Amino acid sequence: MADMQFGLMTRAQFPAEDDMQVRFRELMEQARLADKLGYASITNGMHYSSAPFQDFQQLPFLSRVMAEAPNLRLNFGIILLSLHKPLDIAESLATVDVMSGGRVIFGAALGYREVEFLAFGTTAKEKVKRFEENLIAIKRLWTEDVVNMKGSHFELKDASAATKPIQKPHPPIWIGANADPAIKRAARMGDCWYVNPHNRTDTIIRQTEVYKRALDEAGKPFPKEFPGRREVFVASSREEAVRLCKPFLAKKYKAYHEWGQDKVMPEGDNDLGQDFDELVRDRFFVGSPDEVAQQILDFNKATGINHLIMSMQWPGMPQSLVLDTITMMAEEVFPRVRKG
Amino acid sequence: MKKMQFGVMLRGVFPQGDDMRIRFEELMEQARLMEKLGYDSLTKGSHFSTYPMQEMVQIPFLSRVMAECPSLRLNAGIVLLALHKPLEVAENFATMDLMSNGKMIFGCALGYRDVEFKGFGIERKGAVRRFEENLEAIKRLWTGGPVTMKGSHFELDEARISVPLVQQPHPPIWMGANADKAVERAARLGDCWYLNPHQRLDTFQRQIEIYKRTLDACGKPFPKELPMRREVFCAPTHEEAVRIAGPFLKSMYEAYEEWGQDKVMAEGDNDISMRYEELAKDRFIVGSPDEVAEEMLRYHKLLGVNHIIMSVQGTGLPQSQVLETFELMAKEVFPKVQQGM
Repeated sequence: MADMQFGLMTRAQFPAEDDMQVRFRELMEQARLADKLGYASITNGMHYSSAPFQDFQQLPFLSRVMAEAPNLRLNFGIILLSLHKPLDIAESLATVDVMSGGRVIFGAALGYREVEFLAFGTTAKEKVKRFEENLIAIKRLWTEDVVNMKGSHFELKDASAATKPIQKPHPPIWIGANADPAIKRAARMGDCWYVNPHNRTDTIIRQTEVYKRALDEAGKPFPKEFPGRREVFVASSREEAVRLCKPFLAKKYKAYHEWGQDKVMPEGDNDLGQDFDELVRDRFFVGSPDEVAQQILDFNKATGINHLIMSMQWPGMPQSLVLDTITMMAEEVFPRVRKG
Repeated sequence: MKKMQFGVMLRGVFPQGDDMRIRFEELMEQARLMEKLGYDSLTKGSHFSTYPMQEMVQIPFLSRVMAECPSLRLNAGIVLLALHKPLEVAENFATMDLMSNGKMIFGCALGYRDVEFKGFGIERKGAVRRFEENLEAIKRLWTGGPVTMKGSHFELDEARISVPLVQQPHPPIWMGANADKAVERAARLGDCWYLNPHQRLDTFQRQIEIYKRTLDACGKPFPKELPMRREVFCAPTHEEAVRIAGPFLKSMYEAYEEWGQDKVMAEGDNDISMRYEELAKDRFIVGSPDEVAEEMLRYHKLLGVNHIIMSVQGTGLPQSQVLETFELMAKEVFPKVQQGM
C-alpha cells in the first residue's frame, strides 16, 4: 500500500476550563511535527457554538496553520455547506488555495445541529436544497469568469470569484456522508465520498457498494483518492493504547451522542451511546503498531480508502500523549502500511 | 500608547492576469518590513466579486499574515457587516483574537454594492437593520453567553462563541461611515468612527461636529483612538511622488465611481470624477516627507485623528516602490509627526 496518505485531524475540542492560547500553541506544534514526519494533510472541522467544548474556527485556523506546515494539504473537512453563501465560500477557499500554493481540499456536508441552522437563518428542511445549489454555484464561480444563477437564498448577477483557485479545474471536493442517500449524493456531486469517522467498519464496507453503484449510475469512475476519517491511537501494546486513550475518546462519543449525530446515521448502526469496548472494536483503530497497521491495511483492502484522516486527540488529552502517538504512527505504522 | 499610530492598508487588489501567488508573497514581504520598521497596524478590507480586479479574502488573509508580523495590530477594516451572520463573525474574530494574542480590530460598515447584497441573498433596503442587529448580537456573543436573540435573518438559541476573546470586553469596534447619518450611527454604536479615505478634510471638519454632538447625546466621551484611512504616498520630492502615485490613484477612483461609492458619500462631497490635482486636494496625502508629515499633523489638529491607516499600493504600483515608500515613511515621516504632536 505504497501510496497511502496519512492526515492529521486537529478536531481537538477542548474542555471549557482550558487556556486556549496554550492549546493554540500546542496545535501549532502538532502541525510542525506532522509536517516534519511526512504527514500528507491537516484537517480541521467546522462547528459553531460548540459548548461545552471550546474550539477554533476552521477558516482562520487553517489559514494560520499553513505558515507552520507548508507541506501539508489543508483539508476543510468538513464545511457545513448549507449554512453558507456560495460567493463567500468560493472566494475564501480560493484565497487559501492561492496562499498555500494549491493545497486546499474542500470537504462539504449538510450539518445537523439545530443551533447552527437557526443562527444562520435556515432550517434542517432546507439543507439538502441549499447544499446542492451552493455546491453548483461554487464550482461555477471557480471555473467560469462571470456567473449568473438564482438560488433559493442567493442570486449571482454577473458575479465572479475575486480570486480563482490555483488547483485546476478546482480543489478536490470531498463530500461527507453518513446515510445512504447522502452517499449517493456524494457519488453524483463530489470528486469523492469522504468517509465519516462514526460508522462501523462493516457499515462502511456495505456503503462502499452503495457508493460504487451510484458512481456507475452517474457514469463516473471510482475516485483515485478515497479519503476516510477514523479515530486512531497507537501505543506499545493494545492494553496500553486503550488505557491511555479511553478517558478522552469515550467522552467525545458521549458528546456526539448528546448532539444527535447518531440520528443521521444509517439504521442498525446509529447508537453512539454504547459501551466504549464496543465502539473500539467496530469503529476505532486503537492498538500496538502492528495491530493498527493491520487494521489500516484491512480497511484499505475492504474499501479502497487510501487517504486516512486520523483524529488522535480528544477533549482533555494532554499534548505529550498526542505528540507521542503522532510520532509513533509516523515511525512505526506508516512504514508497515506502505510495505503491506 | 504612541501619540500617533501608523498602519498600512494592504488593499491586495490586483489586475486580471497578475499571478496572485507572486502578489501574495509580495504582500507577506510588505508585512515583514512593516514589522521590522515598527509600524503599528495592518489593515485588510473586504469586497466580493471584484472582477475585473483580483482580491484576496479578508479573514484568511489576516489569519495568514499574522504569522509574519506578530507585533502588528490586525484591522479587519472593514467587514461588510450587513452581509454576514453574527455567530459566524463573532466566532471567526474570537479565534483570530486568540491566535494573534489580542491584536484584532473589528472594523465594520454597511457596504453598497448590489452584486454583494444579491450574492448574500439580501436586499439593500434591509441593510441598516441587519447591520444594527448583527452588531448587537456580536457584542452580546463576545461579552457573555449563552445568548438568546431573534433577529430578522437569524436566531440565537443559547448560542455561544467557542473560544474566549483575549481583548476584554472585546476588540475595538471601528465603524466606517461616509454619510452624516452613518456618522451618527458610528457615534451611537461604535467604539469610534473610522474616517474613510474618500471624503475631503473640510467634509470631515463638518462631520466631526456631528460626531461630537451625537457622542454628547449618547453620554459617550470622545474616543481615545480616532482612526482614519487615507491614500498616502511619499517620495523624496513632491513632483516624484505625484508622478509615481498619481496615475494609480486616479484609475482607482474611476473604479470606485463605477462601483457606486460616490452614491453613499456625503452631500456636497460626492463627486470623485475630477482630474487628479483636484481629487487629491484635502483627500490624498501625497508628497515629500515634509509635506506628508505636515498634512498628517493637520488632520490631527483639526480632527483629533491619532491612527492613520495608509493605503500605499493602489492598483498596480510595483513592489519595489511600495517597499521604498514604507522605509521612507518610517525613517523620515513618522519621527516628524511624533515630534509635531
